[in-house]
Amino acid sequence: MLERYQGNARLLAGGQSLVPLLNMRLMQPEAVIDINRIPGLDGVREDNGWVRIGALARYSAIEWSPVVGSRLPLLSEIVRYIGDRHVRTRGTIGGSLAHADPTGEIALAALALDATIVVRGPSGTREVAAREFFLGPYFTVLEPAEMVVEVRFPHHQMVTAFAEHARRHGDFCVISVAALGEPAGDGGWKTVRLAVGGASHRPFVAEAASAVLSNTALEPDAIAAAGAACVDAADPTDDIRASADYRAHLLPIYVRRVLGEMKTRRRQGAT
Amino acid sequence: MTRVEDERLVRGLGRYVDDIDPPRLAHVAFARCPYPCARIASIDASRARDLDGVLEVLLPDDVLGRTGPISILRPIPDAPRVMPYALPREVALYEGQPVVSICATSRAIAEDAVAALDIDYEPVPHVSDVEAALEDDAPVLHPELGTNLLVQNPRGEGSPDAGFADSEVVVDDRFRINRVSGLPMETRAIVATYTPGVRELDVVASTQAPHLFRRQLSDSLRFPEADIRVATHDCGGAFGLKLGIFAEDVLVCLHALDLGRPVKWVEDRMEFFRAATQARESLHVARMGAASDGRILAYTNRYYVDLGAHNSPMGSPMLSSLMFQGPYAFLHGYVERNVVLTNKVPVGAYRGYGQPEGCFVRELLLDRIARRLRIDPLEIRRRNFIAPDQMPWQTPGGAKYDSGDYATCLEMAAEGIGYAAARERQRALREEGRYTGIGVACYVEMTGYPGSKFLGKHHAEYGAHEGVVIRANRSGGVDLYTGVPPIGQSTETAFTQVAATVIGLDAARVRVFAGDTQGTPVNTGSFASRTLIAGSGAIQRAGREIRDKALRVAAFMLEVPVDGLELVDSVIRVVDDPQVSVSFEDVAVNAFYGHRLPEGEAPGLEATAYYDPISSAFSYGTAAALVEVDPETGEFSLDRFLFVHDCGRQVNPMLVEGQLHGGIAQALGAALFEELVYDADSGQLINGSMIDYFMPTTADLPNIELDHTELHSPVTPMGVRGIGESGTIPPGAAVANALCDALAPFGVDINRLPLTAEYVWRLVSQAESRGGWSGEARPRL
Amino acid sequence: MTPLPIDIRLKVNGEPVERAVEPRRSLVDFLRHDLGLTGTHVGCEQGVCGMCTVLFDGEPIKSCIMLAAQADGAEITTIEALNGEDLHPAQRAFKEAHGLQCGYCTPAFVLTTVALRERGLRLERDELKEELAGVLCRCTGYQNILTAVESYLADD
Repeated sequence: MLERYQGNARLLAGGQSLVPLLNMRLMQPEAVIDINRIPGLDGVREDNGWVRIGALARYSAIEWSPVVGSRLPLLSEIVRYIGDRHVRTRGTIGGSLAHADPTGEIALAALALDATIVVRGPSGTREVAAREFFLGPYFTVLEPAEMVVEVRFPHHQMVTAFAEHARRHGDFCVISVAALGEPAGDGGWKTVRLAVGGASHRPFVAEAASAVLSNTALEPDAIAAAGAACVDAADPTDDIRASADYRAHLLPIYVRRVLGEMKTRRRQGAT
Repeated sequence: MTRVEDERLVRGLGRYVDDIDPPRLAHVAFARCPYPCARIASIDASRARDLDGVLEVLLPDDVLGRTGPISILRPIPDAPRVMPYALPREVALYEGQPVVSICATSRAIAEDAVAALDIDYEPVPHVSDVEAALEDDAPVLHPELGTNLLVQNPRGEGSPDAGFADSEVVVDDRFRINRVSGLPMETRAIVATYTPGVRELDVVASTQAPHLFRRQLSDSLRFPEADIRVATHDCGGAFGLKLGIFAEDVLVCLHALDLGRPVKWVEDRMEFFRAATQARESLHVARMGAASDGRILAYTNRYYVDLGAHNSPMGSPMLSSLMFQGPYAFLHGYVERNVVLTNKVPVGAYRGYGQPEGCFVRELLLDRIARRLRIDPLEIRRRNFIAPDQMPWQTPGGAKYDSGDYATCLEMAAEGIGYAAARERQRALREEGRYTGIGVACYVEMTGYPGSKFLGKHHAEYGAHEGVVIRANRSGGVDLYTGVPPIGQSTETAFTQVAATVIGLDAARVRVFAGDTQGTPVNTGSFASRTLIAGSGAIQRAGREIRDKALRVAAFMLEVPVDGLELVDSVIRVVDDPQVSVSFEDVAVNAFYGHRLPEGEAPGLEATAYYDPISSAFSYGTAAALVEVDPETGEFSLDRFLFVHDCGRQVNPMLVEGQLHGGIAQALGAALFEELVYDADSGQLINGSMIDYFMPTTADLPNIELDHTELHSPVTPMGVRGIGESGTIPPGAAVANALCDALAPFGVDINRLPLTAEYVWRLVSQAESRGGWSGEARPRL
Repeated sequence: MTPLPIDIRLKVNGEPVERAVEPRRSLVDFLRHDLGLTGTHVGCEQGVCGMCTVLFDGEPIKSCIMLAAQADGAEITTIEALNGEDLHPAQRAFKEAHGLQCGYCTPAFVLTTVALRERGLRLERDELKEELAGVLCRCTGYQNILTAVESYLADD
């Protein structure tokens, strides 16, 4: 159907981002294709080392899913920052990824957790790593006739933590940081990964910062260096919520806080 | 007593304007100027008119010849009256100003037709802030004025210069108050129906003042007022924003007159942000001087109101001047209101009407003096309060306070917030590198008007009185008719209570019919925290008349002397022999039939009464806040908020608390979250949507703690003072003072709103780079 | 090209409803103007204020950002479902706590609360604030709304 409309149609899943745009006449597609009834796209299940979440899984379902709670606590934690109960009742994970809001929490979680996004179109199904999926603000690799059908998260044994700064509750973030760390036997850490949102035209994995932190004990110097590396990688802008300066200022502080939280959670026995 | 309004409202049976869907309803949409200032070079409506379903297109020429300007209900003293017409003749003066009005069979078609208009706008230079507007080469909005300074209103007493010269410390600053929106959940809305031949223009509108609305429509439409009916059945919030008529109301009525069918306009939220009255924006240049013991010796404030492109019906917020001195006894004061025109949406009344702004400036400067002199902020206030036995007190701002015990509210606030313990905790936490703060702010609030003659002198288009009709019914109760509409302030319940008490009836037997000009006496409306004061006075008069007549008739029916009778719980009985009684219902039925009445007594059992207040009454109190701030990021939490107030006698404490909760929430919203932001270059509104205008949710506000004293006012019936606006006045100042208190080691002074984390961070950064105190202090040798 | 109307069959407050709707018709406009159920209100059409809250298969949603066509096959509950001679306990809780002033947001809060109770959880005040953050109120400052909701949830 998308092919038939040659880019002039929009898919309607949760509608929590799309319909406001239609109401405000900011988007005037020729057609809106309601995919809510496509069967088999809304499950959350474990499969052979992966957690597979259908594109139509609602935020609430993810929030309350015991599988997500135990396997992907970062995702469980992050989804609570999205909108409000009403929005979470309808909004979907697939819709969020396709919409690609630069401050989007789901995108951040997908990047941080190294997810694979499964895309289907007229020429078949393909898998795209989250790191390659987002190209810019509201801009992804999706071709006009393609849609997200599933998101796959690999199992991990990492300790995770998340924080964001927003102007008010449930609002789009000013900046957000997610951290994952694999504990090492000696009390230090093996792989550590940082993902950042709201500080650039798309959320990103802070590769240089992650490298600085991996295989360390997360000493203050390492953390400070990671913060600086994140700032280098960021390209924040001024908007109604905050200035670029403020975002750049908050970023290393949130990196420090999130890594501190991650250390605390390790001590408290979380995985 | 729970509210009578609730039975319908909790069921979703409120009748808001958009709930009214008569047959053959037509709908209106407007073309609105997209530029802050533009000449309208040409309008081609041919494609719009051709669309199926379009019924009428009104262009400026269609409207200017047949309508009068929109009157100003509360003119600014000495100011030229800049009254807009419903559509602009040549130049649109703000983004959002209606330029063309289109009526069609559906709103969607009307909007499609608006999109089909060809309007040639020629943008011309604009000004978006008061300072730019006052520069010599600024483009002048209204050429006939020759300036953008609409008026300057000075007032004051004593000689502040001498006061400053004698001061140990003088502090001054420029304070920027943010532009905000009252943001009721229901936008503006109107349905108008004209019946030709019968000559009735029937209007249902979401307004605070149906009688004033009616009068203004009559003037603008040049249509006899007697042929217009205006009713507000339910209104989803107003807060000052829905006072008077607007261009859209005139245009909808014109369509109704021309088409002879019902016409409706419900403002959508995008229009709302660009066209509904905005609020508060002002620049205050203020200075305060004090003696070494902290007594204020002089206080001046020259402030600049950013009025927008023209007067709104309530002018500019007036009470920053009248109430600038607050609860303090200084004698040398000068306040100067400068009203400045800019190319933005007109600013008008919003809960508080200038008092929140004035309180913010004054309380922050007082705390600065306290910090400079190292005097505790509670103590400095104690030393400055007007004492109860000094009342009534005439202030330099021109107000006459009726009564008040400010110190007791302050003590209760200190006690309630745990001041001493909070100071201890502050000391201890500072050692750990944590920064907590305690802030207080005190206010006095003018409620109600000091009589209609006062308003007459100020050329207001309304009086200060309220009138009611109370008519006994044949179900053992009374019907009370009031022009005050239900806007959420529980007038129906309050009036029910007063009437029941005054007459001696069971409250369940009182029915209130509110907000319809048909059948209600001409009245003023619901604003200025005046309704209960004036309304209770009118109800007392009318109620007493009814009760007195009921007793006379009962005495005749029972064949007993009238002096020995009382009316309690809808029964009239002999005090000393309660078995001898007659029900109010039987008395009323008898009075209607006129069968057994004393000689000279006419049939019927009803009364109409007006009450004109003799004086404003002044509510007052103290707000206290506890915060913790992270100086590294500016993020802070508002950990406790307490509000101690006096609003005189409380007719219904539950309603009083509700009004305070709401006012405080709006104050915290305006102080911590909200701002309408105009782009400095393009002059356009950047954040005109609910997504980008940060109104607080349940999860954003702290619990609100309340306490009160109850000093009856000597100048109002029943000793009440108004309460509707109190909550909006001190909270911003209390939180700001708490932040400055927390960050005192850094030497931070606040001078703008809103208080965002980013703003606090910038203050701390600037203070750190300066290495010490900010602001000016001139210690005397 | 005028889009063809879409036939929908749904249940509204337990009653079956069959209509043809324009694709662009929002659910809230359908409920208010096609079915005359004006207890659900419109505040922004941007999915923020929550005035348009209804229950969709028992869960609270913002009906201004749902197209009527999407409700085909669904069970919609509006405030009118609770109305009888006596107040529903949730409605009574709001009245007793003075949890409303102008009443515009009240149906939205009442329905959200009824749905919340169905989930059978024990919630702290902070969690409650989160659950209710999808509906705005400008009159009450939320204090008494929270009291009303707590009292209704605690009531057996």
